[in-house]
Amino acid sequence: MAWLPLVTLAVSLVAAAIIFWLPEHAWHRRTWVNLAAAVIKLMLVGFIILRIVNGHEDTFSLPVVENVAFVLRADALGVMFAGLSSLLWLCTTIYAIGYLEDSPNRKRFFGFFSLCVASTLGIALAGNLFTFVIFYEMLTLSTYPLVVHRGNEKALAAGRVYLRYTLTAGVVLLLGVVWLHSLAGSLAFSEVPSLIHYLPDYGMQLSMIFVLLVGGLGVKAAIVPLHGWLPRAMVAPAPVSALLHAVAVVKAGAFGILRVVYDVYGIELTVALGMNTLLAVIASITIIYGSLRAIAQQELKPLLAFSTISQVSYVILGVSLFGPSGTIGALVHLLHQGLMKVTLFFCAGNYAEELGIHRIDDLNGAGRRMPLTSIAFTVGALGMIGLPPIAGFISKWYLGVGAIQANMHTVVLVLVLSSMLNALYFFPVLYRLWFCQGPAHGQGKWPEERRLGRLETSGWLLWPTMLTALISVLAGLFAGLPFSPLEWAIRVAALEYLP
Amino acid sequence: MSPIDVVLLLALGWPLMMALLSLARVYSHATQPHVYLTWGWVSAPWPALLLAFLGEAQWVMESWLLGALWELDAISRAWLAFTALLWSLAALHARGYFAGEQLKAQAGDSAAQRRMIRLAILWPLTLTGNVLLIVAEDIASFYLGFALMTFAAYGLVIHTGTREALHGGRAYLILAVLGEGLILGGLLWGAGDAQTLTLPGLREGIASAEQGVWMAALLWLGFGVKAGVMGLHVWLPLAHPVAPAPASAVLSGAMIKAGLLGWLNVFPLGLSGAGDDIATLGRVMLVMGLAAAFGAALYGIWQRHPKAVLAYSSISQMGMLTSLVAMGLVAPDTWPFLWPAVVLFAAHHALAKGALFMGTSVSEHPPRMPLPLLFGLLALPGLSLAGALGAGMVSKWSMKNALYAQGHTGLITLLTLAAVGTSLLVSVTLWRQWQQRGEPGSHACQLGGWLAALIATLLAPLWLPLPADSVTPPPLAEWWGLVWPYLTGIGIVVVGWGLLRRGSGPSVSLPAGDAWWLYACWVGWMQRYIQVLAGRLAGTKKRIVASSLQVERHVMRTIERLLAYEGWLRHHTSGLMMALALVLALLMLI
Repeated sequence: MAWLPLVTLAVSLVAAAIIFWLPEHAWHRRTWVNLAAAVIKLMLVGFIILRIVNGHEDTFSLPVVENVAFVLRADALGVMFAGLSSLLWLCTTIYAIGYLEDSPNRKRFFGFFSLCVASTLGIALAGNLFTFVIFYEMLTLSTYPLVVHRGNEKALAAGRVYLRYTLTAGVVLLLGVVWLHSLAGSLAFSEVPSLIHYLPDYGMQLSMIFVLLVGGLGVKAAIVPLHGWLPRAMVAPAPVSALLHAVAVVKAGAFGILRVVYDVYGIELTVALGMNTLLAVIASITIIYGSLRAIAQQELKPLLAFSTISQVSYVILGVSLFGPSGTIGALVHLLHQGLMKVTLFFCAGNYAEELGIHRIDDLNGAGRRMPLTSIAFTVGALGMIGLPPIAGFISKWYLGVGAIQANMHTVVLVLVLSSMLNALYFFPVLYRLWFCQGPAHGQGKWPEERRLGRLETSGWLLWPTMLTALISVLAGLFAGLPFSPLEWAIRVAALEYLP
Repeated sequence: MSPIDVVLLLALGWPLMMALLSLARVYSHATQPHVYLTWGWVSAPWPALLLAFLGEAQWVMESWLLGALWELDAISRAWLAFTALLWSLAALHARGYFAGEQLKAQAGDSAAQRRMIRLAILWPLTLTGNVLLIVAEDIASFYLGFALMTFAAYGLVIHTGTREALHGGRAYLILAVLGEGLILGGLLWGAGDAQTLTLPGLREGIASAEQGVWMAALLWLGFGVKAGVMGLHVWLPLAHPVAPAPASAVLSGAMIKAGLLGWLNVFPLGLSGAGDDIATLGRVMLVMGLAAAFGAALYGIWQRHPKAVLAYSSISQMGMLTSLVAMGLVAPDTWPFLWPAVVLFAAHHALAKGALFMGTSVSEHPPRMPLPLLFGLLALPGLSLAGALGAGMVSKWSMKNALYAQGHTGLITLLTLAAVGTSLLVSVTLWRQWQQRGEPGSHACQLGGWLAALIATLLAPLWLPLPADSVTPPPLAEWWGLVWPYLTGIGIVVVGWGLLRRGSGPSVSLPAGDAWWLYACWVGWMQRYIQVLAGRLAGTKKRIVASSLQVERHVMRTIERLLAYEGWLRHHTSGLMMALALVLALLMLI
């Protein structure tokens, strides 16, 4: 069934086309198209997963010019990312419908939203570097309208910075891809890359290409010092931030680095070139730097942004550790961080929408007023710190064990230090939520209270938040069950380390 | 599902359900006022208590976390028994202790309502963590239980919400985070090195690993935060006096024992192949333990608050236990004889300390009984703790017995001397309680919990599920050897008190939390230093940005000049073209 990856990709593209075609005021029809597309896509990805379990791997290939082909391939690693993006797309779509109620330009928003998810799926299912770059650039262009959605001066400025960073990075990435193509010809992603044969003659060139590729991908993955766009992009609406941080942009960068290391260069070649040490160093710096900056933040969303910078580099850190445990840690954190971060952003959005809270010190006593949101936030925050039984613990465990097995003991120090720093900036927030007295106890008033629903806030906002929080807990608590993120990561890692 | 499985499920599920019920009731819109500490809430630890007496068992669950292995073996059964018993009695005591606050809450005092809600939710959660860490035999479940207990207990420490309570809570939390970090580091290192997910595997891994001593050192310090290792103990005297009496009882009785259990779980105790490095660590632990045993006694007697004195007494007792555990590393052959004594010591100290802390609340509101009788009863757990009576005597004797058998007489002498310190501390506590006794009026539950704890303390060896014949009562001839430290302590207190009264010198009182204030100074100093550094970095950044902007301006100026040339060229196109044509024509002519 070679058409399966193509159809899965097409679902979002068709949805985007229909949404652009529908008039602005067709709220109901647009909602139906959005939800139907999201559900269908989730089902298709589920179907692909079943086929992979049964040993089928679907590939769609279309030659463009000689030696260059457009390839979509549903392999285990790609489907892992596709599964995350389609699950969170559904949640985020529901959330966005509630969040953007009565706001202008919804047609534009949802159109580009679908395009953005289509490109993420393209990135996940891309079968070679050429296809990957196409969707990677498409992602840049389709997220720009989402970042500047509010249209005010601050949003436009953030959008300019975003484009400046990502387009430059796109050029650098393209340069790396072209150079690699001229050196080794067309390179399909594969579990047993053949690039290692070039090592004796072209070691230097391969290192330089690697730096170019990682440099190009590192901008989206927000590696320090290429992270400057991310905190500024916080002006985007909450669902966009959630999507940007959890699946789409930042993760696309991290996923690209995964692909380059495992399926283009191969982990042996990366280690032989000494590039894994480079990755470990920049990832460690990013993790600590992001945590330190997060401590100093006064507002909730920038705090979460710096936390993302720190957390996504866990994935890169895992990639740099040679050995199955490190790889499992990297892969599983790709999923876990997505689930937990999306929860945290949903919560931040709930506080902002329902009570008008943006600053951390306005959160006093919000646990009383919005208990379910606050529980979800607590789950996300504890998961980010890496406390069991939440998913973050599982990834941290595998990363730490991987570091020991790769004989990189300092990495454990980085992990422990980062956990403690995470506690340092998340605990004060939790303290304010649960232990401080605030407007809910008759002291002062909320910045801008709106009663959005019968529950603590609108159901459109609340249910996706609860769902992702619940999955974050279950993914950790029952990590040993089949089809859990951990089990799937172990399956993928087993393929990479096949003799 | 056999009966023991059901009881295990209840032991963990029942307290969790109580926490959830309390949470749910907060947001239900009931019209009549809540009773926060219901009998269901009090009964939360009962299934765990039952579980301890049902015999040994093992459970394996692949799908739980990284794969669960839960076990009730000789140590964990005894541990669960005294922990669950203490929690039960403290819960009963709490029902009486918080009766006044309950009335206030029912009368509509919102602050009291908030405090009671928090207690009703966090108490059973802390208990769940404590039970889980005892039955867990795999690393992930153990760490889960430990973390849950640690962080949920924060709410118990800051219950009253006063400035002192918040300060104590902060000290508790900062050190708890530090401890969790150290534990995580040690667990990851040990488990990664040995490729294991279970605690027995970790023990063997640490014994055989080349750098096992460093893993063990990390875990020693990490669990040492809870167990009050000298230097990391500062939260104890800050948090204990401010927490409500029942919370102090479980903090000091059950929760700091979790740190000790952590050591028993991860150290290669009694494994002779562990190597010299581990023995060296054992010696360091031994010295530190004894230093804590004596130092805490010397510092603690100058405290004003009876609960602060008791906190120092806990540090001192844990110091003695540390030195006993250290013996398992220094001389592994001793361990098979020593461990029942250690478990009995821990159990006895847990209940005695629980009874003493509950006693402080009883003396604040004495029941209607003659004061000599009341203070006689209040003195009993202290007497037992110093080894002069009841279970304390049996515990001291079994410890001595085990050490005698292997010829470690030096340590016996030191521990006996430390018992003088213990008796000093408990006498001072009693004296402070006498000075600070309040208006009569105890609640029946408060009194009941305390009395039951008293009886359980004295009879500990009778009900504790230890292997048969592992502890024996001392023969009469040894009696004097166990009692004299207590009498010496009493004597010192009486003489000292007399001297102080006669001399009318300045009354000495040292701040609770000793080294905490030193740390606070260091941190303040570091903060200033970091601020200066950050200011400098910001200045450097500004300079770099300014210089890059200058470069940009320079480049722009060059580009503008080029544009000017281009404009000039455009302006003179026709003339230039003609000149060019002329030049070409001339060239062709030549």
